[in-house]
Amino acid sequence: MTAKRVGVGRRRGPRGAAERVSGLLVMLPWLVARERVKLAQMAEQFKLSEAELIDDLMMAAVCGVPPYSPDALIDVFIDEDEVVAEVPLLFSRPLRLNTAEVFALTSVGKAAMQLPGATATGPLATALAKLRRLLPSSQDVVEIDIEPVAHVEAFTAAVESGEQLRITYFSAARAQSSERTITPRKVFEDGGHWYVTADDDRSGERRVFRIDRIEHLEHTSNFAPVEPSTTDGDLGDDGKWFKDSLQRVTLRVQPRARWVVESYPFVSRTKNPDDSVDITMAVSSEHWLGRLLLRAGTDVSVVEPASMRDVGKRTASAVLRRYG
Amino acid sequence: MGVKVSQAERMLNLLALLVQRSQPLTLRQIRNELGTQYPESDVAARAAFERDKAELREMGIPIEMVTLGGDHAGEGAYKVDRRSYELSDLGLTKAELDALKLAAATVRIGAAHGEAALWKLGGERALEQPLTSVHIELDHELMPVLAAGVMDRRVLQFVYNGENRRVHPYGLLARGGFWYIVGFDELRDDRRTFRVDRIEGTVITGAPKSFSRPDGFNLAKAVATEHELLGDGDGVHTQAQVLVDASLAKRVRAEFGDDAVVNQRADGAMEFNIPCANLAAFRIWLFAMLDRAEVLSPPEIRSQVRGWLKELAGGKRS
Repeated sequence: MTAKRVGVGRRRGPRGAAERVSGLLVMLPWLVARERVKLAQMAEQFKLSEAELIDDLMMAAVCGVPPYSPDALIDVFIDEDEVVAEVPLLFSRPLRLNTAEVFALTSVGKAAMQLPGATATGPLATALAKLRRLLPSSQDVVEIDIEPVAHVEAFTAAVESGEQLRITYFSAARAQSSERTITPRKVFEDGGHWYVTADDDRSGERRVFRIDRIEHLEHTSNFAPVEPSTTDGDLGDDGKWFKDSLQRVTLRVQPRARWVVESYPFVSRTKNPDDSVDITMAVSSEHWLGRLLLRAGTDVSVVEPASMRDVGKRTASAVLRRYG
Repeated sequence: MGVKVSQAERMLNLLALLVQRSQPLTLRQIRNELGTQYPESDVAARAAFERDKAELREMGIPIEMVTLGGDHAGEGAYKVDRRSYELSDLGLTKAELDALKLAAATVRIGAAHGEAALWKLGGERALEQPLTSVHIELDHELMPVLAAGVMDRRVLQFVYNGENRRVHPYGLLARGGFWYIVGFDELRDDRRTFRVDRIEGTVITGAPKSFSRPDGFNLAKAVATEHELLGDGDGVHTQAQVLVDASLAKRVRAEFGDDAVVNQRADGAMEFNIPCANLAAFRIWLFAMLDRAEVLSPPEIRSQVRGWLKELAGGKRS
């Protein structure tokens, strides 16, 4: 699992007391509800090493109310490879969700409601209705607007069936359309755009296509073997879904223009002391980069590689020729 | 327990004690009960206790303080009512928890709140990444405080466009990769929309339930789409005539409709009337086409475009 962006998970150095206690207050009720869970599974679920989980549980096991007679303790123990908490005691009911948690879960639920397959009467909809009880009022205070894009459903189905699709793809980098047959592997949305990762017969490589640039789609009824779902195709994994062969460019973005670059997927992002941000992104061509730089203006500059530092200037000069 | 224990263990013991005892306990009583877990010196013990208390409160455990009378007059005593922090059962079914699990795995938010919420509800986070995913950034540092504002109806104070704003936040909307806060702006005395990433500095929140939202307010319709944005500004000129080369003309026509076409040229290029009152949005739209589009008129807009290009081509910077 990658847990880079996740606060509860991986951390460097020893964990603080508050982190261990708040973790236990979440884990203990979760465990009591299940009574017995495999140690390895529970550690993975909560993004802890088995040693860390054992440490925390052993600490909980010796806690309780004076005079610390056995029946006053939090009754948790490790039985071979299982964690056991069969007797509900002090910390057996979960904590209330805080505002950020209710908001996050409501947001992901609302976003998912717009994906292919969700229905107004399905379990997600009824779950969201129940979550509303945690909101202070019955009014909707969050909306997630995912632009509906033609073909998303077709690609999602193709990922699951392995069907190869014939597409006409408009390449913004080259400003031309091309025909190719692709085997879709994964569909995702980022920064307001839908993408499909697919094996591309033209290049013989795995490529990422923006779905709204697919001008035409045809079913082929040819099927490739379906790949198992993997964890290394998502954005949380340092942008591995970008082809390694793509050129990487680091841009320095002044605060005023940050929104321009946030419209594009990035590989890494570092904030500088002056509030500018350095963003490394995979760039499909100089043409594509030139377009970004023109849109963003003087608030964005190329840091690396040196060979691309004048792309903005060259692109602007080329466009300027139209204006005589 | 005459042994030194870790702060984590001491916090758990403190919590267990305050939950179990029916009467509020003073710090003196707590120290008697917990033995040497708190430092011996009164000052150090008070500091350690305050730290524990603050961290427990941060986790969502409301530790109440009452001021005693009688023999202990004036002394503070502490208690925790578990009903005040325990989650009431929402009655989520297995299918509903699974649906939330899939939603949380599919919609990546860059923050761990969704997973923590799932655990508290008795669910699990997905260990496998699903084949479809959506990315909505919730990890902007202001999101928790803004979420609290809309959910608890707290007035928000922040700086936007260099001006101090007091806003009654009606809702948060994610569109096109950005978060917007929609609400009543006291400064403008009208409804306004603010992009979260453009809020300057920190946000101060007021007391809960300090405003009410007008009936019939529709959050989804409160923010202009990218297309609508082009005309949503205070520029002198509201429309520009733009020539688009044949390779892109059909796409632009599909986007703006047949009515926007002013002239169709023999080579397939088309001239369009495009809204440009919001010049910043217009620039982004126009330059996406690079040298395959050209502003023909009005002359002021054409000159502005030339100015932008010269600024970049001038060689002062990359």
